[in-house]
Amino acid sequence: MSAAATATDVPLPARKKRFNRNEVLAALIFVLPFVVVYAVLFIYPTLQMIWLSFHKAPLIGPGTFIGFDNYVKLFKDKLFGVAFWNTVYFVLLTVVPATLTALAIAVGVNRLKGWMQSLILACFFIPYILPVSVVFRVWGWMFDSQFGILQPLIALVAGDNVPVFRTLPLFMPTVAFITVWWTIGFNILLFIAGLRNISPEIYEAAALDGTSKWRQFTRITWPLIWPVTVLVLTIQLIAQFKIFDQVYLFGNGGRSDATMGLVQLIYRSAFQKNNGGYGATVAVVLFLIIVVFSVLQFQMLRARGEK
Amino acid sequence: MMKSFLKMALLSTALLMPAVAQAQEVVTWWDFLGGGDGVRMKALLEKFNAEHAGKIEIQATTLEWGTPFYTKVQTSAAIGEGPDVMTYHLSRLPLGVSSGALSEITTDELTAAGLSGADFAESNWKAAQVDGKQYAVPFDIHSVVLYYNKDKLAAAGLIGDNGLPTGLDGVDNFKAALQKLKDGGSEYGISIHSAAGDSQWRIFYSLLGQQDGQFLDADGNFLSGDNLDKAVKATSVVADWVKDGLAPAATEYPASIALFTGGKAPLHINGVWEVPTMTDLSAKGELGFEWGAIALPTFFDHPATWADSHAFAIPNRVGNEVSAEKRAAVLQVIAWMNKNSLAWADAGHIPAYSPVRDSEEFKTKQPNATYSILADTAVFDPSSVLAGVASPVYDAAGNYLMPAVNGEIDPQSAMEQMRDDLQGQVE
Repeated sequence: MSAAATATDVPLPARKKRFNRNEVLAALIFVLPFVVVYAVLFIYPTLQMIWLSFHKAPLIGPGTFIGFDNYVKLFKDKLFGVAFWNTVYFVLLTVVPATLTALAIAVGVNRLKGWMQSLILACFFIPYILPVSVVFRVWGWMFDSQFGILQPLIALVAGDNVPVFRTLPLFMPTVAFITVWWTIGFNILLFIAGLRNISPEIYEAAALDGTSKWRQFTRITWPLIWPVTVLVLTIQLIAQFKIFDQVYLFGNGGRSDATMGLVQLIYRSAFQKNNGGYGATVAVVLFLIIVVFSVLQFQMLRARGEK
Repeated sequence: MMKSFLKMALLSTALLMPAVAQAQEVVTWWDFLGGGDGVRMKALLEKFNAEHAGKIEIQATTLEWGTPFYTKVQTSAAIGEGPDVMTYHLSRLPLGVSSGALSEITTDELTAAGLSGADFAESNWKAAQVDGKQYAVPFDIHSVVLYYNKDKLAAAGLIGDNGLPTGLDGVDNFKAALQKLKDGGSEYGISIHSAAGDSQWRIFYSLLGQQDGQFLDADGNFLSGDNLDKAVKATSVVADWVKDGLAPAATEYPASIALFTGGKAPLHINGVWEVPTMTDLSAKGELGFEWGAIALPTFFDHPATWADSHAFAIPNRVGNEVSAEKRAAVLQVIAWMNKNSLAWADAGHIPAYSPVRDSEEFKTKQPNATYSILADTAVFDPSSVLAGVASPVYDAAGNYLMPAVNGEIDPQSAMEQMRDDLQGQVE
């Protein structure tokens, strides 16, 4: 505000210059706290991580420079391949389903009025505020192979109790389902905010023209909500690429080599096996994967939305 | 000016130090004892603080067992923000020392606190050393035992004249006993925690030890020579129980205990740390049957049971070393805990401190006395940075042993894969 005021008050000769000194100073002062925090807490550690990935080093303390050896090892590592595909599989199982389900629920909730809307919205949002350990305990207990309350239902279909988290083909889909249940509340909120931004007059006009509800959705709601959808998809993509907690908790003690994701590989290399250099290498590769995927996705989806 | 002022300040602090030390040393303590044994430890800590009021105060924090605990210890040691003393698994000691998390404890320090190696079983004391240097003081020996439902066993004729279970030795004998118990109306013959590698590792390692099998030989080779066959045999024993429905498949830890305490399985293999659970349930009259615990039966050539030790270790504090007074206080804590470890036996464990283990009070303490033989037949985890609690060996047990027990992988190929995986991790 003050910077803008100064800009209009200064005499003409000074305004000819591209930047006014006061303006620059004020701008610097305003952005400085952020830049410092960002540099210290993000840029510096990131550079350190990249540097560490060229070393054979423990989790903490100096190591020896080994060039690209860690990267060579990484691409030969069977576990990296498994972790990569598990991560991609998990992303496929969660990102689009979580977004579409959230949109459907948001459209439904948006049609409700008053306290009913608040109540239903709260019901969908409550899981989101639970810590992951609670989510793990609740679902672990419900699916318990001996005493779980879902087992009678499962036994109806499968003929017997099924240890869901110790049956490899069921592991990822179940954890993905739980993740969608757990995190969908936030996406619903974003969609509802988007839906409320659509002017009711457009719907009134459409109603006067006698458009069907479905046409209203495909021709009005969907295009207008598209920017929010892109946002939700991108947030989801980044979050799910970093999958760790749920898979780690549900898979702990089991066949973790077959169920692990990339972050878990980082954790195991760096923290459990004290191989910080290799852990950093996996982290760098995951970082690049996320950057490439999210930029690609955001650009592609935005392009489509602008048509 | 500034320098001399600093000197003055340092000097006055140094002069004040003894006074402060005499006032009260605060010892920060971390442990991972979150179960029934944690309650017993809290009582011990309170007793210590009461006896040392005004001199030493322990401020204790309980953290999550396993990898989270050891990760936190390692990172905090590196920046000098760790505790003053902590509990530590001896099986994990090689990895702890190699990552620089542990501080050496000198003989002088031990002597000053009234402790010596002679007060402990030799193998136990040695397990607290790496390259001849002492890095921990053992506190207990803990193992797995066979919990039994005396009522059900008596009904099946499996209780001998001495009131203890009988006819359980030998692979075939044991399986026949399980069948008899199941035929007698129990849902399972035995309950085991079959959904995770750690519990299966403890049974497996006991059965391997009973055949004198070596998981890791002196040359650093995993399951070399006929050790592989012995490992396959050990795995097959448990896999057979599950295959024939005598033991539950892929069952989680709490459920495996509930199957026993709920009377659905008359036998249960689990750590001695669940003794408090049984004692407490029984005292409240919620168990519904008479229970007991014995050392694992001899399935093969001779008795042997997996064992580990809880010990006390002092973390390194890089750049934030503690005063000599505080270290002395820490060693006093360690010595006091060992001398008072009879109370710790209530948590099911066997005290590491020989004077307590040899005392009349311990010899009459039940059920510990019944299974105290396992202090002599204990087989400890291989001494390697790849072994111990929450180590690659434990992970491998989850990846290969656990699915083999549950019939997902054939024991032969499971053991071969486990061997190759671990061998591939040797650097």
